[in-house]
Amino acid sequence: MTREIENAAGIPVVQIATIVPIMLTVGANRIVPGVAIPHPTGAPQLGEDGDKAKRRELVLRAFKAMETSIDDQMVFED
Amino acid sequence: MKLELHKVKVRDIQWGDVTSVKDGVLYVNKEEAISLIAEESRFAKVDLELARPGESARIIPVKDVVEPRVKMDRKGYYPGFNNTAMARCGEGRTFVLDGAAVVTCGPIVAFQEGFVDMSGPGAVYTPFSATQNIVLVVEPIEDLEQHQYEQILREAGLKLGVYLADKCKDTPADEVTTYEKGTVPEEVEKYPDLPKVIYVCMNITQGLLHDTYVYGSDIRPALPTLLHPNEVLDGAMVSGNCVSACDKNTTWHHVHNPIVAALYARHGKDLNFLGVIPTQESTVLMGKIRASQMNLSIAQELGADGVIVSEEGYGNPDTDLCMNARNFEKAGIKSVVVSDEAAGTDGASQSLADATPEMTGFVSCGNVNEMLEVPPMEKLIGWPESIAHLSGGAAESLRPDGSMYVEMQSIIASTAEIGFNKVGCEWI
Repeated sequence: MTREIENAAGIPVVQIATIVPIMLTVGANRIVPGVAIPHPTGAPQLGEDGDKAKRRELVLRAFKAMETSIDDQMVFED
Repeated sequence: MKLELHKVKVRDIQWGDVTSVKDGVLYVNKEEAISLIAEESRFAKVDLELARPGESARIIPVKDVVEPRVKMDRKGYYPGFNNTAMARCGEGRTFVLDGAAVVTCGPIVAFQEGFVDMSGPGAVYTPFSATQNIVLVVEPIEDLEQHQYEQILREAGLKLGVYLADKCKDTPADEVTTYEKGTVPEEVEKYPDLPKVIYVCMNITQGLLHDTYVYGSDIRPALPTLLHPNEVLDGAMVSGNCVSACDKNTTWHHVHNPIVAALYARHGKDLNFLGVIPTQESTVLMGKIRASQMNLSIAQELGADGVIVSEEGYGNPDTDLCMNARNFEKAGIKSVVVSDEAAGTDGASQSLADATPEMTGFVSCGNVNEMLEVPPMEKLIGWPESIAHLSGGAAESLRPDGSMYVEMQSIIASTAEIGFNKVGCEWI
C-alpha cells in the first residue's frame, strides 16, 4: 500500500512498522521502526506518560522522515 | 541417555465402568474423568465426547491435542504442570496409549483455533482423524479472562492425558521403542568423521495466548536453550498457543516431532545429531535478532556443520526464519528450513512475508490458503458456528446444510511445519 500511494498520488509515505526487514523486503521507502507487533505505535509498559511520550516521539520521527529527501530505502532509527 | 516408550496400541475407545485398556480398546469411566477435570473451579461446565476414525463427526474449535502418557518410574508426566515435580524428561520408562488422543475444545480467541473432521475430504489433512479421540468440551465461568481460560484448558488436557495413561499403565506393552544417545562429547568421540547436525525448533512465543512452554516455563522471555532429543520426545515441550490452526505444533506434535525422529534414525549412520534448540519468535525486532544470534552461538559452540530449522506460524515469524537461514549460511553452516506458505487462494502470491537470498534450502509443507469443501457431519462436537471467526473461515463458510467452504488453514495441523502432514508443493 505504501508503494502504491507513492506511485499513484506522488506523495511521500512513511511506514511505521515493527519488523523492519519485512518492510525492506516489500519495498517501503521511508521506514520508522515501531515498538512491538501487538503495539507498533505505543509502549504501554512505560505507563500512561511514558506511552504518550513514545507515541509523540514516533510521530515526530515520522514527520522528519517525510521531510527527508532520499535516494534509496531508508530506516529512520533516531 | 535412554528412553523407553512402552506403547499399548489403542484401536477403539468406549465408555466403561473402569478406566482401562483391554484388547486394544480404551475404556473410559466418564464420570470419574469429568469429576477430575471439574476439580478446577473456573470451569462452569465440563463434558467429554468420543470421536473415532471414520465417524461422521466434526470437532470445532480445537485448541490442543495431547497423547495419553505417564512416567512408569515416577508420578505424572509433564514436569512443571499440574503439580508434577520437576525432573528431567527423556530418561527411564514412559507408558503410551498409542493411537489415543485427548482433544481440547473451546472458543478462547475465536480466530486462532481450528477443526478436525473424523471422515470425508477434510479428514486426510489432519493426523487427529486417525486417532481415537476423547474430546474435552468445557465452558469457563462467566467473565473469566481469556488467558486464564487458555491456562485451565491447557492444564486440563494434560491432566486428562496423564489420568488415562496412569489408569492403564500396568497393561503389558505391545511394543517398546528405545531412544538412546550419549552426550555431545561422547557422540563426537564415537563418530568423529560424521557431519554434526543440529535442529532449531522455532516456537510461537508472542504473549497474548501465543506461548510455548519448556519444562513448564513460558519461553517467551527466555533465551534459546539446548535439549537432548529424548527430552523433546518425552514431554519437555508443551503448546500453550492459539495460532492459526494449520501450523500449530500441538503438544502431541512435540513428542512426535518427525524431524527429531528422522535425525535420530540417521544418528551414527550418516550424521551426528547434536540436539534440539527450542527457540523464540519474538514480537520485537531486537528479540528476533537476539534469538537468531543465540541459535547460531549454540550451534557454533557445538561445532555444527548443518542445521534444520522449522517454523511455527506464518507472517512475522518468516523474518525469524530468514534471520536464522542467513546467520547460519554466513557462518558456513548449511541450513535447510521447513515452513508452509501463504500464497493466496490461487497460489500466485509471494508465499512468505520476508525473503533472503541465503535461504537456499526450503521444504514446503503446503499452501495454507488452498480452498476446500467439507460436507456436513452427523455429529458436531463443540461450537460449529465458530468457523465464522476461525482463520481460514468466514461468516459465509458454514452453509445451512452444515457443509463448509474453507481455507486449509482452518484444519488443525494441515500444514504442520515440523513436517507432520501430507501436503507439500509442486515445482511448476
